[in-house]
Amino acid sequence: MARQRSVADISYTLVIGGLASLALLILIGPVVIVLLTSLTDSRSIRFPPQGISFRWYEQLFDGVRSRQIHRAASNTIEVAVWAALAASVFGTAAALGLAGARGRLSRIADALFMSPLVLPGLAFGLAALMYFTLIGFRPSIELMIIGHAVILAPFVLRTVGASLTQLDPALLECSRSLGAGPVLTFRRVTLPLIAPGIAAGSFLAFMGSVDNVPVSLFLSSARTDMLPIRMWGMMESTLDVRVAAVSGTLIVFVFVLMLVMERLTGLTRRMRG
Amino acid sequence: MTAFTPTRRAALMGAAVLAMPSVARAQRRGSVAAAIYPGSWEEAFREIVAPPLLRTHNVELEMQPLFAVDQIAKFAGTRGAPPFDAFVLDPGPRITGIDRGMYERFDASKLTTRAQLPAGMVDEWGVGCAAQVVGIAYNPRKVPRPTGYADLFRDPWVSRLGITGFGTTFGTVSLIEIAKIFGGSQTNIEPALAELKKVLPRIAAVGAPAAMPGLFQQGQCDVMYTNTQTVTTLKDRGVDIEFAAPSTGASAFFTTLHIAKGSTNIENTYKYIDTVVSAGVQRALMAAPFNFVPVNSTVPLGAGLPMRSLDEMARFNRHDWSVINPLRAGWIERFNREMAR
Amino acid sequence: MEAGRPGPWTLTLPLALAYLAFFAAPLLMLFAVSFYADERMTRWGLDQWQRFLFDAFHWKVIVDTLLLGLKAVAATLLVGFPLALIYRAASPGWQRVLLFIVVLPLLTSVVVRTFAWIVILGREGVVNRLVLDLGLAAEPLRLLQTELGLVIALTQIEMPLLLLPLLSVMSRIDPNLLDASSSLGASRWRTLFRVLLPLSVPGLVAGCSLVFASATTAFISQGVIGGGRLVYLPSMIWQQAMVVAHWPFAATAAIALLVSVLLVIAVFGAIGRVIGGRLHG
Repeated sequence: MARQRSVADISYTLVIGGLASLALLILIGPVVIVLLTSLTDSRSIRFPPQGISFRWYEQLFDGVRSRQIHRAASNTIEVAVWAALAASVFGTAAALGLAGARGRLSRIADALFMSPLVLPGLAFGLAALMYFTLIGFRPSIELMIIGHAVILAPFVLRTVGASLTQLDPALLECSRSLGAGPVLTFRRVTLPLIAPGIAAGSFLAFMGSVDNVPVSLFLSSARTDMLPIRMWGMMESTLDVRVAAVSGTLIVFVFVLMLVMERLTGLTRRMRG
Repeated sequence: MTAFTPTRRAALMGAAVLAMPSVARAQRRGSVAAAIYPGSWEEAFREIVAPPLLRTHNVELEMQPLFAVDQIAKFAGTRGAPPFDAFVLDPGPRITGIDRGMYERFDASKLTTRAQLPAGMVDEWGVGCAAQVVGIAYNPRKVPRPTGYADLFRDPWVSRLGITGFGTTFGTVSLIEIAKIFGGSQTNIEPALAELKKVLPRIAAVGAPAAMPGLFQQGQCDVMYTNTQTVTTLKDRGVDIEFAAPSTGASAFFTTLHIAKGSTNIENTYKYIDTVVSAGVQRALMAAPFNFVPVNSTVPLGAGLPMRSLDEMARFNRHDWSVINPLRAGWIERFNREMAR
Repeated sequence: MEAGRPGPWTLTLPLALAYLAFFAAPLLMLFAVSFYADERMTRWGLDQWQRFLFDAFHWKVIVDTLLLGLKAVAATLLVGFPLALIYRAASPGWQRVLLFIVVLPLLTSVVVRTFAWIVILGREGVVNRLVLDLGLAAEPLRLLQTELGLVIALTQIEMPLLLLPLLSVMSRIDPNLLDASSSLGASRWRTLFRVLLPLSVPGLVAGCSLVFASATTAFISQGVIGGGRLVYLPSMIWQQAMVVAHWPFAATAAIALLVSVLLVIAVFGAIGRVIGGRLHG
């Protein structure tokens, strides 16, 4: 019996460990390639890199030679911040509403809310451009934010919805019976419990906006040049290494951000404790 | 609408920040919004066209990076209020634009450079701003120089071949030329598809055009059909690549500039177009790293090109896009079907 | 306060209104455009729908697209779920490291990501160099421009979409349940299939929906890594809308994609409810 048990346990460790290692390899492999490529000394994006240098990063941060990239990057970040914020607020509210309303109707509503995710971005971009023009708007950064927010809201809806399914209704009942109003209950009970879902959703939304090609393609104007479109052009015509350097920069930035957040949250936890 | 208050405020703030300098300048300075191909075209126009346009005409160049098809889609999506003043288009989309009435009539007499442009470069719809020469690109370190399109179907090239479909101008003219050597014509590309189908399992890549430089650089394919500009640009970037004019002749076409129908900025658009085709700008565009093929006959041609003067281009294979255009959608579908497993 | 307490549907109103104005309306327009009979959009008719539906090739493309989505879901689950288990069991410090690794693909633009996969899967790529050096094959394997290669590449970018909702659900599972299960003599496999897996269903359904929708519409990855020998609906829509500017047909194909993908996601949801129902009932 004990022996059987350990065989099962060993097989569990091997299989799960093996598959998880494969997952890590698939996740990390391409990123390592991108990072190595961004350090190449050659004049075009190439793997394996020919000599190691930071010259493409230097060029990327050069305010003159990469002015257009910088402008596109600041547009992209501005759109992503506001679109992710709008998507998070609206998406979370809707997820809360759907969780409260059970039954067939809520399932249909849920499916409808998810639909922007499955409409090919370029079809939506095309449709949105036709529509906005019809009601009298010209392509602008505001339209871009709206367009992005609409296609990104489902990310938040999904992740928040998933964390809500585990919210024990008894907790809310309890809070209510103790005399807390819905706002207080939300702030003190619901919000802390679904916070990870909101965080995950808004992060997905933010990155989805940063990396969006098709919607940006249609809703952009001369003033709202977007980063992925610029990168696509750089890659196609000149195999520009700065494309890899952009990703390298983003990876380092998020890494540092996570470290900082880790420090901050670690600190707050210690202060509370 | 309250729903979007924060975003709108942010957007307004953003717009205000962006707009402030240009509002201040607008009183003295004109501007022109030009669609431009993303990537090297845009870099080139920013570096080489924008400064003289500002210097000579006090007109600021604002560019919208858009591929030809995006320009048409975007223009069609904004009926009556064009999103930009000038198109830059390849011959296929150019015809589409003519058919759909997307251009203002072009008055060549407004160009100071009119006399320097070869015959046929200007018509009632627009003016050529760059020539493109299409042939075969190969990696000289991996495969011998192919002599013509027929070689692409033989060893050692066939297993190293990367092809693209009718989605691009260079792809379309190359497939037409391939069809011709197997008995097809400008209106019959079936022989090309039939021959490709035979060797399909051996072909190294059937790619999206945008992916081809990357596939070539990484050795997934070592021979492909493309234009001289791509070859020269990649070569400048250290890629092992050479251009070979096929024995049946290189193909040529012109990229053209057009004034968008309904533009409220026509005078400045002429100034922009005039600047682009002027000798100085054309010469600078021809130099590395941009490697454009010029359209101004006073510009001496660079060494990398398979001809010594623009007149020689008359001997290259030219194609009638008013014939090709109506067929192209069908060809794209045929290509999909034939290439699908 | 009591009188003003919002019903559940009130909370969905802002998003519903935003959708109505900025999503449903454009979509309606797309729908209307699909009923133009001709490319120039001059007269109405069912021509495009006829052309789309009465053609076996289009059905094959739809099936291939949906199958690609299912394969991507299966592959992502196969390696992603074990990673989620490892994450669950890891110390808080390692959890943060793993979380960073999980979101890594989102930090690399689709432009470079596809290039990286050319580098890995290509004829002279990393995998082939390894395989040839180890003598596992005499000829370079064909990975790039095959569906296998495409699914592998999709697995990377879809993994965060599966794992982020899944991890947030799994981290809420009461560890006492697992302890109870093993102290009752259940093997780790049994605990996994009988306790952990069923309790993760909400996260799995959410994750799989996101993965499926994203994989079936990822037209840049499909085009660059899959190549022209694999035809999926998004690239057809792109060609029709952007290359030949045939909006009515593009609109028809887009709606077909929308409907078929939504149907599959609805099935995911139904499966999730059946399992969830059995669990609670």
